[in-house]
Amino acid sequence: MRLPAGVRDWLPHELARKREIEQQMRAVFGRWAYEEVQTPMFERFDVLERGLGQETTALLFQFNDRSSTALALRPEMTTPIARLVSTRMRESPLPVRLAYVAPVFRYYEQPQEGRMRELTQAGTELIGASGVDADAEALFMAIEALAEIGLADARFDINDARIVDGVLEGMGLRGDDARRAKELIRERNLVALQRLGLPALTQFTLQRGGREMIAPVRALCRTPSSLEALDAVDALLQRAEALGYGGRVAVDFALLRDLEYYTGFGFEGYVEEIGFALCGGGRYDSLLPKFGYDVPAVGWTAGVERLLIALERRGKHVQRRRHRIDVLVSGSDVLAARERAAGHVVRSARAGASEEDLLADARAHGIPRIVIAVDGTVRELRVGPRVDELPIPRTPSNWDAR
Amino acid sequence: MKDVPVAAGLTIAVPKGALFADAANRLRAVGIEVPDDNGRRLTVVTTDGTTLLYLRPSDIPAYVEFGSADCGIVGKDVLWETDRAVAELADLRFGFCRLVVAGRRVDRYHEGAPLPTFLRVATKFIHTAESFFADRDMPVELIRLHGSVELAPLAGLADLIVDLVATGATLREHDLVVVEEIAESTARFVVNPVRFRAKYRALTALLDRLAEVPA
Repeated sequence: MRLPAGVRDWLPHELARKREIEQQMRAVFGRWAYEEVQTPMFERFDVLERGLGQETTALLFQFNDRSSTALALRPEMTTPIARLVSTRMRESPLPVRLAYVAPVFRYYEQPQEGRMRELTQAGTELIGASGVDADAEALFMAIEALAEIGLADARFDINDARIVDGVLEGMGLRGDDARRAKELIRERNLVALQRLGLPALTQFTLQRGGREMIAPVRALCRTPSSLEALDAVDALLQRAEALGYGGRVAVDFALLRDLEYYTGFGFEGYVEEIGFALCGGGRYDSLLPKFGYDVPAVGWTAGVERLLIALERRGKHVQRRRHRIDVLVSGSDVLAARERAAGHVVRSARAGASEEDLLADARAHGIPRIVIAVDGTVRELRVGPRVDELPIPRTPSNWDAR
Repeated sequence: MKDVPVAAGLTIAVPKGALFADAANRLRAVGIEVPDDNGRRLTVVTTDGTTLLYLRPSDIPAYVEFGSADCGIVGKDVLWETDRAVAELADLRFGFCRLVVAGRRVDRYHEGAPLPTFLRVATKFIHTAESFFADRDMPVELIRLHGSVELAPLAGLADLIVDLVATGATLREHDLVVVEEIAESTARFVVNPVRFRAKYRALTALLDRLAEVPA
């Protein structure tokens, strides 16, 4: 009766907590005027492969249908949404603002906490908008969303991949050399970087901080696009500061997310006590063109399970909250239906159950009221708050006949 | 420079066993109090607010990847074998050893000798051996052992072994010869990639101090 590796069940109280977070995220998306969409759990393999980088393609759960069409479970939502917008929303005025809260699937070799094979992502895509305003929208929405669920001290590191490109070019690294160096910077493997014999590059890989970091790096940038990117990062830091996020947003020049995917701006959000990022995103201007729609885009996503881990680590989880039940009804479909119609949560009890059993049931579930119908007579019992410590009431005065 | 405790607030994974003495000395050299490993001690909190976790070397990458430790000292050989996402910030230049393929001298193995097309290989380093032979497109049967790997070819369990060699004395003792060197390993200072950002000041300060100390 075992589950396969990397998936889990959600018991009622666990799912209630997860749903609460999902609703809070949806509320933030709504406030930023994003509309939620849904796409199929699985798609044609070739369509997903078209959008995903190698890194994510390698994580696909793949299978064939009976006519041997290669299919795969979606490993993230950005590619399906890029397909959706490219094929079905061409007429929509740009920019398009879409959101999702959806399960995705990744075949991790070693599934573990924070890296499950089925996970829930909550995120947004802003399609058809470029520039700092759009990047700022993704970043600030992520900051607000994490604050909404109770992580108002989460920190965010930002970067723009074009800066590294300009620095590498300035150091004379091109083609495969530049690609390899970029990978090492991304891993922050200083030991291997040192072997390249470029001390300035090793130093660059350690650069992280506020706006004071911009000037020293500007001296290393050699291309117009890297200088433009540096200005954009500076502008974002400035805007974050003006919003009161000054101490919580920093630039980390080695922050490089999936290199095949992200074309410029990128960010990750985290809290001090968790060793992995809680959310992240960036600009992926080359994705929609792969689906024949030449528009830029920026998006971000949060791992809902990771958010739960962060909240649990802080003791902000589940006070094993019980589902609220208003009334226990025994012996009458009509009365139960009437209670539900009045907006009450009704638990149905077996007809003919004894008063002792009904009271015990009500106490066990914290139900304040019992309605009992026996042979056309209706009686209502109010259950006191600490009734479990009182003797079971038996006198007729306790019964409130309707 | 010693007025502020160098690693206050950090949790550092320290390897037990062969690397302990050098790792402890390196940390002491930058001003961290490191009590001797009494064999059973699991966690130590030093006086200046640094938490030291004394761990089996092979467990350290997992502790650091999850962020249960902010950083740690671990051999490169362990990093190859565990393949965890940790940032390798410094080569501490101690704990030098080589990971080699070795075989019995009487079998006429020597460095550069052509190997048979199907081999049984005994090792503790399953993942590293697997990718080494896969890169060379050599089909092998890997046998996972947990100790005294050098015995396997002598007892006829395996044709070859993949093992760590520090001085080569153990190989010579058992009349084994190096067939090929896979890589050289030294101790590395590794950090959790997200914690590097969260505790940037403390971790870069510790990195600077560790790199300053001559090996």
